[in-house]
Amino acid sequence: MDDYLEKLPEFVDIIRSIKDTIIANIVLIGQIPSPTFKEKNRTTVFMERLAEFQVDECSTDGYRNPIGIIRGTSESKPPIFVVAHLDTLFSKDVDHYYTIGKDTITGAGIMDNSVGVGVLVSLPEIFRQLNLRFESDIILAGVIQSLGKGNLRGIRHLLKTWSTPIRGAVCIESGELGRLSYYSEGMVRCEVECKISSTNGLEYKFKPNAILVINEVINQILQMRLPQKPRSRVIIGKTGGGVKHGIIAHEAKLGFEIQSTSDRMVKSIFNDIKDIIDGVGHEYEVEVRLKTISNVHAAKLKFNHPLVKSTVSVMKKLGLTPVSAPSESELSIFLSRKIPAVTLGITSGENHLQHNAKVDIEPMFRGIAQIAGVIMAIDSGVCDGHQLA
Amino acid sequence: MDTNWLRKNTFHYSEFNDLNRLVDEKQRKNLAISLCLPTLNEEKTIAKEILILKSELMSRYPLLDEIVVVDSGSTDKTREIARSYGADVYQATDILPNLETFKGKGENLWKALYITKGDIIVYIDADIKNIHHRFAYALIGPLVLYENIKYSKAFYDRPIAIGKSKIRPTGGGRVTELVIRPLFSLFFPELTQILQPLSGEYAGYREIFEAIPFPIGYGIETSMLLDIYEKWGLDVMAQVDLDKRIHRNQDTKALGKMSFAILKTFINRKRKLGMVDYKDAIFSEMIQYNLVKNEYQPDIFNVRGHERPPMLDIPEYCNKFKRTN
Repeated sequence: MDDYLEKLPEFVDIIRSIKDTIIANIVLIGQIPSPTFKEKNRTTVFMERLAEFQVDECSTDGYRNPIGIIRGTSESKPPIFVVAHLDTLFSKDVDHYYTIGKDTITGAGIMDNSVGVGVLVSLPEIFRQLNLRFESDIILAGVIQSLGKGNLRGIRHLLKTWSTPIRGAVCIESGELGRLSYYSEGMVRCEVECKISSTNGLEYKFKPNAILVINEVINQILQMRLPQKPRSRVIIGKTGGGVKHGIIAHEAKLGFEIQSTSDRMVKSIFNDIKDIIDGVGHEYEVEVRLKTISNVHAAKLKFNHPLVKSTVSVMKKLGLTPVSAPSESELSIFLSRKIPAVTLGITSGENHLQHNAKVDIEPMFRGIAQIAGVIMAIDSGVCDGHQLA
Repeated sequence: MDTNWLRKNTFHYSEFNDLNRLVDEKQRKNLAISLCLPTLNEEKTIAKEILILKSELMSRYPLLDEIVVVDSGSTDKTREIARSYGADVYQATDILPNLETFKGKGENLWKALYITKGDIIVYIDADIKNIHHRFAYALIGPLVLYENIKYSKAFYDRPIAIGKSKIRPTGGGRVTELVIRPLFSLFFPELTQILQPLSGEYAGYREIFEAIPFPIGYGIETSMLLDIYEKWGLDVMAQVDLDKRIHRNQDTKALGKMSFAILKTFINRKRKLGMVDYKDAIFSEMIQYNLVKNEYQPDIFNVRGHERPPMLDIPEYCNKFKRTN
């Protein structure tokens, strides 16, 4: 096992030597708008680039997730998955053209998840430069419909329809370098919508204000007592409503997530919030709707799982300090299907989810070396016989 | 008017997507190809252009032999960034320093002939936000695959008929449609087949570029077309649809200055060709007006219309490239 660890520091320099190719991939793919449900153009370029880099097979699955396969030397070892989500938070109207500075790349979506996707597409060339061959097939998958209302549909479909066992997986995110996610919290993502009839009927003596109704829902959520164990929280993430300063709002929306280490607790909190919403709707005599748009189950690898331990060793060998953080992305779907997996970040940056997100170029090379190291660890067998119970 | 040229010499970049074929042809013909990026304060876009073109057309496919930046004296980090991404960077004033100094895009392109070593030179503006390697390989394609073509020029946005009844506009900019196209229609109707005569991306054989004069400023694209047309005819030219190009927009006043320079170049060329007999001198100042504190004040832009002679007239060049003139 130590064999591959020893090689890692020299990997960084070799990866840096093809910096132009890696950044070209990040930019050429990242500049194509790819809002959730409209990933087709990015998918096409992703496939073109994979084909350019001469993977052994390149196609889409039945859900149009683009996939490249690097054939391994063994016919019996199950494949290793490496995935990055293709969708972004930004609509196609947002300027996606990136600016490359001396040490940075700036632009919408660069931190979520253009670097991840660009690195994924570059892996065939990176493996060639590092002279790496694997026993397992390496499945490079750009998954669609991951974020928000996408509800991880791409990865769910890919894994549901994949016919063979899977040896292990690495999920790639642009940032932050040092992140090590090996567990997912249970999560339900919801939207609350309050609509008030705008007709001039006599049904209201004093017309209610949709923003204030949503405000009341927020207040009551904040008054809830949440347990410290299992650790649980409600995150109020999005809100909006109204059209004009001097007009009572007819519509307002609230987006929130319930997160907990226990699925049962997520469900219990969800039911409590549903009661709150029903109560507020009844009290204000307005329509308040609760809609679930996404959910994942809690799942985890133990910290002493060989994949986690190997990943920590890889990171430390590269001088990185692993920081544990939950991930409710592709990782949760792998783990819920009992497939050992981790999520890793490639580089550091700032303004993560904003139009002017910026990533640092130099740390990227260690970030990529760690991905290669973890794939080597899985290929050496650290997950074999340690599938999740 | 014969519109055969438009049908025969108009290409789409996808016709040149087979980069291995282009590289094979280039090697078979023993050609060297240089890319020149003329710059003036392009720190936001220069790195991306160099990086993508270098990665795709030097590292992955050996189509380009060098990337050269010729800078007009940027006050931002253009030169530093370009150097850090591996381009050969020159200040225009440092090339052929014994000559009188001028500043302008045409000057940079002309001086690039002296410092590049390619048999083919590709010129690409440095302000393209959506740079893609097709901007270079699609211009090189006709030059290496077709014996008769010596000069290729870009156009954008698929400005051609897309169905029986559907026609899209040519996509030419305001100066093209308001200045160049009317002039070409009046005097050189054949040249109207060039859909975007002002596009800043073109490539050609050294033997073409070294034999024509280069205006210093905005007139360079127009004069180049007129000179090549006059010396070798339309058949040595090709135009290539590069799909979409995103670059910064210019305001109407700036376009006015550009139009002035182009008109001046055009008139000078016509005089040279004996096509007009205009005795009076023409002026060199473009006069625009600004309203300042309720008073109209002239804003004078001087376009001297300096022009560099064909490089073949420069002894240092002839020595370096072993040319006899």
